[in-house]
This record gives sequence, structure tokens and C-alpha cells, in this order.
Amino acid sequence: MKDKGDHDVNEVGAMLLEVGTLLMSSGATTSRVRNTVSRISEAFGYNTDMLITNRAITLSINDENDQHLFNSVKRTSPHGVNFKIVSGISRMSWRVVNEKWTLEQINNELDRLTSLPHYPRLLILALVSLAGASFCRLFGGDIPEMLVAFLATFAGLFVRQESTRMEFNPYLCVFFASLTASLISGLFRKLGVGTTMEHAFTASVLFLIPGVPLINSFSDLIDGNILNGMVRGINGVIIAFAIALGLLTAMVIYRF
Amino acid sequence: MEWLSFFEKGLWFGFAALGFAILFNVPPRTLFIIWLLAACGGLTKLYMIHLGVSVLLASLGGSSIIGILSIQAAHNKHAPPLVFSIPAVIPMVPGVFAYQAILGLITLAGNPSAPNYSQTIAKTISNGLNALFILLSLAVGVAIPMLITRRNSVKHIKIGKRK
Repeated sequence: MKDKGDHDVNEVGAMLLEVGTLLMSSGATTSRVRNTVSRISEAFGYNTDMLITNRAITLSINDENDQHLFNSVKRTSPHGVNFKIVSGISRMSWRVVNEKWTLEQINNELDRLTSLPHYPRLLILALVSLAGASFCRLFGGDIPEMLVAFLATFAGLFVRQESTRMEFNPYLCVFFASLTASLISGLFRKLGVGTTMEHAFTASVLFLIPGVPLINSFSDLIDGNILNGMVRGINGVIIAFAIALGLLTAMVIYRF
Repeated sequence: MEWLSFFEKGLWFGFAALGFAILFNVPPRTLFIIWLLAACGGLTKLYMIHLGVSVLLASLGGSSIIGILSIQAAHNKHAPPLVFSIPAVIPMVPGVFAYQAILGLITLAGNPSAPNYSQTIAKTISNGLNALFILLSLAVGVAIPMLITRRNSVKHIKIGKRK
């Protein structure tokens, strides 16, 4: 345990809230957020109690004499899923315990993790489109269909990235992406190029499926964080609904 | 069964998972493991279906394999298990069932006195429930091994991380 003289409890509290909110918005389960924050705060010799919700975290710190030291709320930022941060903070929390990191080291590491670059945009577009083509192949499509699925996914993801950058409502972004992808794959289906193209039409919107919200929702429900589990589940259902709406709009346009 | 086309599907399961891994910004050191896990899980599911198991149980089997293997991967690569298991399980998502269910719902919104209306209801309900239950079984398959081993081997995980 560290000497309490060498750091300010307010700074420790701010750091713990930063860790918690970063984890929450990057796609960690509620119990992981709680465990990680408790682990770090115990390394500094404090007891921490938390109320974790989807949009904000409330945290209060006590020392071992039950003396109240710090109390604050922080909003979680609406960034998307980022497993580099989840994995980096998880590694860091163990090093804080085992290597007795100082507050400054932790803050530097957090800065480093948040500034880590994403994959290059073209690589993301290419590999996600390859995933779309793979889905098409798994459903039984042939090579022309896979190409169509690739193209449609590429355009769909591009539209999603651009509309997210323009700060549209996130569900609306999903709708735009789903509509674009299904319009493009539907065009090939309508024109009757090659085979039926039905597999490509189905596979082209699958890059949008809300895998993280739905699986995390279930993990939270099992862990007993029922409220957070329900919030995540409903978020996932709305995304699925937005995908279906885009698909439906394309089908109405093409009269399938 | 044709083994060549069987293993070819494993390849595509892997690539589908890789796309999502990139989308979720996983650390580069985990990419190959995710590819491998997805291929293992997907092939397990396909093989179980080949043996005559229902799609539902086969999905549960495939995702459980991914869940169990992801814990081992977490020890070796120093990343939380969910970094591996979530991208790897996504290729098994029941896209076709969900699509057919939506298609059915649209048809149901049309003329109720169409001759095959009741047949469409039955098909839509079946497809929708299949999609829902497969999704649930994927989540269960991934979550349960994680929950079980977390409880039993907290110390073990600690030792693994200390290196």
C-alpha cells in the first residue's frame, strides 16, 4: 500500500472515473468496469463504491476509517467499441497492483491508450467488406455474389463512417448504411446479373449487426446487473430495427 | 460430406470474424487467434449440424468452444476473453433466419385475405423464433465458460498476468 501523502485523493478519484467511463464506452461489461476500478483503488488504499449506468458513473471513495474523501459523477463519452482500450486498461490495472505504479504513470498510460491510432480507414473498409463477402459465401453464394456483397458492404460502411462523422443520430447512421448496402446489392438482384443474388442481398447488411451490445447485454444480465443488461439489450434491438428498416425501404423501392 | 468444401467454410468463418475484429479495433497481436477461434467455432457448428444436431444446439456448441478457447487465448495473449470471443462468435449470427422473418413480417402487413396468409404466419413465427433463440444460445455459449472459469481461477488469472 502506498503512502497517502504523495497523492491527492481528488486526482485519484478523477483518474478512477476516467478509467471507468473509458471502459464503459469501449464495450466492457459492467462487472469488468467495477472489478477494474476497485482493483486500482485498492492499490492506492481506498475503498470505492460505484453506481454504474450506461451514460454516467457515480463514484465515492472512503479510506479504511470510513472517512468520506471524494464523491463525483462523470458522463461516459459516446465513443464506439474499442477493444484496444479494454485490453490496455485491463493489463494496466494488474501492473498498477503488482508494480506499484504512481498516479502519474497511470495518467500517462491512459493518455497513451486513448491516443492509440485505429486501423487505417482503407484497411477497415477492405476487411469489413471481405467479412461481408464471407457471410455471403457461408450462406451458399458463388463468386459473383460475393463480389456484390463486397461492394455493397464497402459502400454501406463508408456511408456509416461519413454519417457518424457528420454527427447524425447513431441509429439513423445505421439506417443510412443499411439502406445504401441493400440498395446496391438489390440493384444487382433487380437487374438479374448472374444468379439470384438473394444471398448477397442478405449478407450485405450483416456488418451492422449489434454483436457487442447483444452479447454484453446477456453477460450483464447473468452477472446480476439487470438494469444495465436491459439498457444494452434495448440498444441492440433498436439497432437491429434500424437495419431492418433500411432493408425494408430498399425492398419497397425495388418491389421485391 | 465433402471435406474440402467443409474446411473452405472454416476459412470464411475466420475472415468474417476478422472484419468485425478490425471494426472493434482489437490489438493487432490478437487478430490471428480471433481468425483461428472463429474457424474452430464455425466448423464445430457445421460438424454438429452434419451429425444431425439441431441448428440451435449446434450454435450453442460452436459458441461454447469459442468461449472456452478464448479463456486460454486470454492467458497467452494478455487480453480480456471478450476481445477474442465477441468477434469470433459473430459469423454464427443467424442472418438468413432474421432476414426471412423480416420478409415474412412485410408480407403479413399486406393483404390478410391472401390464400397462403396462415402459412406465412407459421413460417414467419418459426424463422423469427429460430433467429432469437440462436442469438440467445450464442450469448449463452460465450458467457457461461467465461463466468464459470472466472470464479474458479481468479488466482490462476492473477498468476498468468504477473509474468
